[in-house]
Amino acid sequence: MNHNSLVRIVGVLTATCLAFTHAVRADETCNSPYISKLIKGQEDYVYVWTLGVDGMGDGFDKLVTVDVNPKSKSYGKVLHSVSTGTRAEAHHMGFTDDRRQLWAGGLSENRIWVFDIATDPAQPKLVKTIGDLGDKSGYLGPHTYYALPGRMLVQALSNTRDKGGVTGMVLYSNQGKYLASYAMPTGGGGDGYGYDLAVNPKKNVLLTSSFTGYANYMRPLGDLIKDGEAMKKFGNTMVVWDLKAVKPVKTLAVPGAPLEIRWSLNPKHNWAITATALTSKLWLVRQDAKGDWQAKEVGTIGDPAKIPLPVDISITRDGKGLWVNTFMDGKTRYFDLARPETPRQTYEKVTGKQVNMISQSWDGKRVYITSSLLANWDKGGADNEQFLRGFAWNGKDLTQAFEVDFAREKLGRAHHMKLGSKALRSAAAGG
Amino acid sequence: MSALRALALLAALGCAQTSGAHKGVHAGAPLAEPDFVPPAPGSYTLHRIMAAPDGKVLGTDGRPQSLSRFTRDQITLLGFIYTTCADPEGCPLAYRVFDALKDAIAAAPKLHGKVRFVTLSFDPARDSPEVMRQYAGSRAVEKKGGLRWYFLTTASARELMPLVEGFGQDVRVTYDRSGARRKRELSHVLKVFLIDRQGDVREIYTSTFLYPRLVLNDIETLLLEEAGERHGAAILK
Repeated sequence: MNHNSLVRIVGVLTATCLAFTHAVRADETCNSPYISKLIKGQEDYVYVWTLGVDGMGDGFDKLVTVDVNPKSKSYGKVLHSVSTGTRAEAHHMGFTDDRRQLWAGGLSENRIWVFDIATDPAQPKLVKTIGDLGDKSGYLGPHTYYALPGRMLVQALSNTRDKGGVTGMVLYSNQGKYLASYAMPTGGGGDGYGYDLAVNPKKNVLLTSSFTGYANYMRPLGDLIKDGEAMKKFGNTMVVWDLKAVKPVKTLAVPGAPLEIRWSLNPKHNWAITATALTSKLWLVRQDAKGDWQAKEVGTIGDPAKIPLPVDISITRDGKGLWVNTFMDGKTRYFDLARPETPRQTYEKVTGKQVNMISQSWDGKRVYITSSLLANWDKGGADNEQFLRGFAWNGKDLTQAFEVDFAREKLGRAHHMKLGSKALRSAAAGG
Repeated sequence: MSALRALALLAALGCAQTSGAHKGVHAGAPLAEPDFVPPAPGSYTLHRIMAAPDGKVLGTDGRPQSLSRFTRDQITLLGFIYTTCADPEGCPLAYRVFDALKDAIAAAPKLHGKVRFVTLSFDPARDSPEVMRQYAGSRAVEKKGGLRWYFLTTASARELMPLVEGFGQDVRVTYDRSGARRKRELSHVLKVFLIDRQGDVREIYTSTFLYPRLVLNDIETLLLEEAGERHGAAILK
């Protein structure tokens, strides 16, 4: 830390006339409840974790920063990108609890790239690569990066032994030190598969979902769906864990590959919702009158016979609305969740020829959509659009505000998004 | 059994209001009980998350000392505060939880001499050793069967910031523009750190699960771990 930074810090501390503590219970709609810094106003950046494409630019996976502040001169433009120097099926990412770092990984190998987003939020910097996940745990394909206080809990999709779907979670310190591994349960109805995880600290519950292993997700989708045996190797369960002990408590039958998990952020709620990729259903997870956790199918997304393939969901901050993206038909749907037992679709719009991730601002007025699912599952030819699109939502209609064409910009396949803000520049960095 | 006595006392304290020199700041709604049955002490693992950072701090007597003097050789519960903090979900909550735990530990003889509390200010400009002494009130005085509760500050931000960053404790400036004049505010998220005898951070509590019952279970888990290590060492001899 240099002298000028220290002087600023002293100034910051001494100039404080009114000191408040903000105890944060939730983040902008889909992050860990332990993440400390909310962006409740206008976000400045969308970070897009982007799969490299051979022959497109440098061909490597990269973190792309897009300016999304309408008041900025570079609104809707790429500000910065950091290449990893490799192509490893870039997929998801997550903030550490202090929101100083963004952890991102690929599904085809076991490295985790750690980006500093606090020193200069407009220009993330690759500061560390964690490479021991496979050696330490035997798991493969880190997917979800979930902040716990001082730690990151990483959900993997596969394993290094047979590259099937039996997998587990890996716990790291924020400094990148391996701490522990936890196998997904294979007894008591468990299939051992993993996908997403999300916690409810009030109930001491960790909830996990299930997808499929490397042997399936790295295979061309056209081949995969013709292989009846391979199609049996998808997860059909969710698991309720004791969060404190990280021990499985109950396995819930949720057939059809339940993917993203969203707990309602409403402090009065204690339920979570998920969507099943293969069966196109919404499932609600909540406690019954006896306090036992149960999963219940509560809704249908599009026409399941046409396999719309719901791939991502985003819950509103009040728990009363849910966005659902379906990859195959390129539709973005909105469900009224006022009664979570009976979700009701109230809106839909084709937002791309293929759509995958969906994120929303804290106030729900801005919605961001990307295009890529997996390198070998994306569509071909003219349908293989690769983009980040920003939309305005007025409660009745989505209106496109900007688009970044990731193919034309020679960036790659646009996948996971996280929001950034200038205001999150760390004090230690001189802010 | 002393642990049961401690838990019973915690239940009683859950309905008690805090009293003392800073009642206006520290008082609040009754401490909440967890809405779940916590796992039993010793039935889970508290991982060594990181080594507690070290640096120079000031006691209420103004004497500079190393923080490691207060984070080694006993189980330590450490929380950052600033004395002007008024958010009931922030520093005052930590204070009330520490208060409840202090009484619970006093009621559990097997915990005597094994636990200390540290309250460290991250506002050195305001929180001088004298201010911290006033903030502490009678709590800094060790009573028979109780524990030592240290109230520390730093000489300046130069000494403070390495500790704040080392623990991963957020402090940042926000601006309140709701009034006629823009006001600068100091913002942080409550974190309380459980540190073992070796100086390793073993748990980090936030307001979402800072329950005295959970903290007491974790302290007992560390003691059971130590007992297990001693037993293993004895077998190997």
